[in-house]
Amino acid sequence: GAGGARGGQKTVVEPHRHPGVFVARGKEDLLVTKNLTPGESVYGEKRLTVETTPANNAGAVNGEVAPATKTEYRVWNPFRSKLAAGILGGMEDIHMKPGSKVLYLGAASGTSVSHVADIVGPTGTVFAVEFSHRSGRDLINMATHRTNVIPIIEDARHPLKYRMLVSMVDCIFADVAQPDQARIVGLNAHLFLKVGGGVVVSIKANCIDSTAAPEAVFAREVVKLREERIKPKEQLTLEPFERDHAMVVGVYQRTAA
Amino acid sequence: MSVDYLLHESSVGYAVFKVVMQADSIGNRLKEVQDKTQDLAHFGKMVQLVSFAPFQGASQALENANEVSEGIASEYLRTVLETNLPKASKKNKITLGVSDRNLAGSIKAAFPSVECETGETSEVVADLLRGLRLHAGKLLKQLQEGDVERAQLGLGHAYSRSKVKFSVQKNDNHII
Repeated sequence: GAGGARGGQKTVVEPHRHPGVFVARGKEDLLVTKNLTPGESVYGEKRLTVETTPANNAGAVNGEVAPATKTEYRVWNPFRSKLAAGILGGMEDIHMKPGSKVLYLGAASGTSVSHVADIVGPTGTVFAVEFSHRSGRDLINMATHRTNVIPIIEDARHPLKYRMLVSMVDCIFADVAQPDQARIVGLNAHLFLKVGGGVVVSIKANCIDSTAAPEAVFAREVVKLREERIKPKEQLTLEPFERDHAMVVGVYQRTAA
Repeated sequence: MSVDYLLHESSVGYAVFKVVMQADSIGNRLKEVQDKTQDLAHFGKMVQLVSFAPFQGASQALENANEVSEGIASEYLRTVLETNLPKASKKNKITLGVSDRNLAGSIKAAFPSVECETGETSEVVADLLRGLRLHAGKLLKQLQEGDVERAQLGLGHAYSRSKVKFSVQKNDNHII
């Protein structure tokens, strides 16, 4: 597109506190990830290319100046991705970084998954589970271009069905918007999550109980996660990007407390 | 109840392990016991690979993945178990640790002398199977680095494409 973000020289990209995530500083600051497949947008998101010119003489070999390297980043919209909203909201630990294995429950069409794939990079893996066939089709298509994404069209309630496709993972991210979400996360954690692995759950209060106050719903979900041996570490709301949503981050423990 | 053998199903094939040493169910949640499963040097002494039966190509892998997800013991799996589990008699039963209780039912139906324990009935079995999943790449010695990941990618696409009712080529079928 002809967006204002395509700044070229004016934009400077800096690493975010979370490894694998970057911030583009231009006219306005944008959250970005390093594009795993340069030249391609996944869902029409904006891309920006930054040239890194080697320091004046440091890159010169035999009088020849090393060519400038171009790196392409994709803009990550916090209004479209709860994980992006959580990062901007100041999550302490996202439990995913370059090289991580992530089990992503509720992958939908794979828009957010593609950014997670950027974060974990070529040495990491994203196991993306989605039950809906219609979004699953888009997910599969996205995964054909990104070989670190393993698409799994299956019900996350029955993790045993896809046990042949998944390794032990460092992190489970869940955005399944189901009333029994905590149980679903627990079932998957008991089978696939390493001891000490991270659990990041996006909770939409309305999907759990539309009659109770959101805060009460969040508190109940945290108790349910505790029962699944997930020790809660932090909780934040996703304001101003989402209404009545919370992000809960915990750590999986198998030993008795 | 003790477990004698374990079945590990993965994208590369089936593997049967013999349990050499197991934690008792009372101390299972202790930190020391849990740490031992994490450590390959220690876990490698708790189990011993009896046999690894790789899939002969993508179509066989997909067939088996479909049957395993439905809890059916495929012909290939039955052959693997037949050749690798010692002959048990009615008096001298052996116990096999399996992930899924439906698959356990199918195995019991095919091998009356084999008892099954699942991750649901025994936490010891659940932990041993978690250990196998964590260390599979190292314990299956025929494998090279990255083999499991490559097989997962191929099998994941094949499995998911076969599940999706809509054409992956984005042509919706209109009902006229």
